[in-house]
Amino acid sequence: MENFGFLIRELPWFWRGTVVAVEVLAGVIGLGLAAGLGGAVLQVYAPPPVPALVTALERFLRGIPPIVLLLLVFYLPWNLPPLAVAIVALGLCSAAYQSQIFRMAIQSIDRRQTEAARSLGMSSPQTILYVVLPQALRRAIGPWSNEFSSQIKDTSLAYIVGVVEILRQARYVISYTYGNSLLVYGFCALIYFVLTRAGNAALYRLEARLWVPGFERRGLERRV
Amino acid sequence: MKRVALLLTVGVSCFLAASSLQGAEKDVYIVGVDAAFPPFTWVEQGEFRGFDVEVIQAIADLEGFSVEFRDLPWATIITALAQGKIDVIASGLTVTCERDQVIDFSLPYWEVDQAVLVREDSDLNAITAFNGTKVGAQAGTTGYQWIEDNLVAQGIDVKLRAYETYEMAVRDLENGRIAAVLCDTDTAQGFVDAGRKVKIVGIVRTGEQYAYAVTAGDPYGLLPKINDGLRKLYESGVWAELVAKYFPGRPVGPVPLKRTTVCE
Repeated sequence: MENFGFLIRELPWFWRGTVVAVEVLAGVIGLGLAAGLGGAVLQVYAPPPVPALVTALERFLRGIPPIVLLLLVFYLPWNLPPLAVAIVALGLCSAAYQSQIFRMAIQSIDRRQTEAARSLGMSSPQTILYVVLPQALRRAIGPWSNEFSSQIKDTSLAYIVGVVEILRQARYVISYTYGNSLLVYGFCALIYFVLTRAGNAALYRLEARLWVPGFERRGLERRV
Repeated sequence: MKRVALLLTVGVSCFLAASSLQGAEKDVYIVGVDAAFPPFTWVEQGEFRGFDVEVIQAIADLEGFSVEFRDLPWATIITALAQGKIDVIASGLTVTCERDQVIDFSLPYWEVDQAVLVREDSDLNAITAFNGTKVGAQAGTTGYQWIEDNLVAQGIDVKLRAYETYEMAVRDLENGRIAAVLCDTDTAQGFVDAGRKVKIVGIVRTGEQYAYAVTAGDPYGLLPKINDGLRKLYESGVWAELVAKYFPGRPVGPVPLKRTTVCE
């Protein structure tokens, strides 16, 4: 390991790649959150045939590999910039998975709460917004952190459409130094690990902060 | 909600308008490179570098157009050009008839053969390296295609492994998982010069030619400018300087070259 020098010289560019990866992640998670939550609400509450249509779309998106979706969006007739291609493709994919997390969370809220809210005169949207979702979203944080972790790692696929993220920066270094792949990919692994751990730690804290007494919570089950 | 819908409509119609307006000229042409192919194209500390990068930049300066480089992996670069996602490929691209069907080539500027790489301590030669052995090449390259067409398809006992990059193939070669790698001569020399534990034991004279390429039909009329630019670069001596900079010791001949690949 005589030549760590190039790695240090390239550090700013690995940082740049990391920033790009986080940009992709933010877009993907944001789009996935909005579309996934919307999809889940439609799947549970909308009148037929909407739930069936949403389910069909969700099955389709979950049934194709993200890399194929990336290439499909890339070859659409519009010239979207690479970052937009990555966000749209991976975002749609994430939306499909997130919709199932939120649907599960919504359906885990006791039906009788909805009935009670309606009998008090709350409208259906009010019930969803003020009774069901505040509880369901809290329950969703745990499984959602799982989706978050896998999305961080999936940003590495975006290189195929020309997004210069962490792995692409790594490829640059490996090709112009004609080697060092073990060292460089090891360094990439470290970056992804730190990102995933930091993101999950933040989500665990969020979960703890939003915890309502009497509600289930990570780590509480076994303490009793 | 209405405002969002309006924004979306405006946005989508802008895209549609932009894609249907195929004007005769563009302010900036997007040059696609696979920035993992030194000495022709690479990225070092965030900057595009390499022989092809400098040549295209010099041609653009001479012919009065602007270029912007975009990195695309080899797997997507040709289809991206075929579909007009990028305007030019300048990335050590070999002229082949298959590619000629979907993109248009400039006159060739470079000639390479395929080099046979084996481990430094190996006593295989160019013949024995391809007999009853496992060999490797980067998928989608002419080296890979050559082995498939001339060895595998001819029933010669050789197992061909595809790699995503030549670097990975060379690593497997060093580790003894494959016996030989077939790649462009300049790339092979690069691995040797970088001190990798490999040596060149033979050259397959494929006489391949590199050329620049544009979208089929040359919608912006770039090919005449590129060909003319190559000629001017050679006449002004800049070409010789660039060759000496990136390929020390390599003989310099006039460009553009005469195309040898004839397609039906």
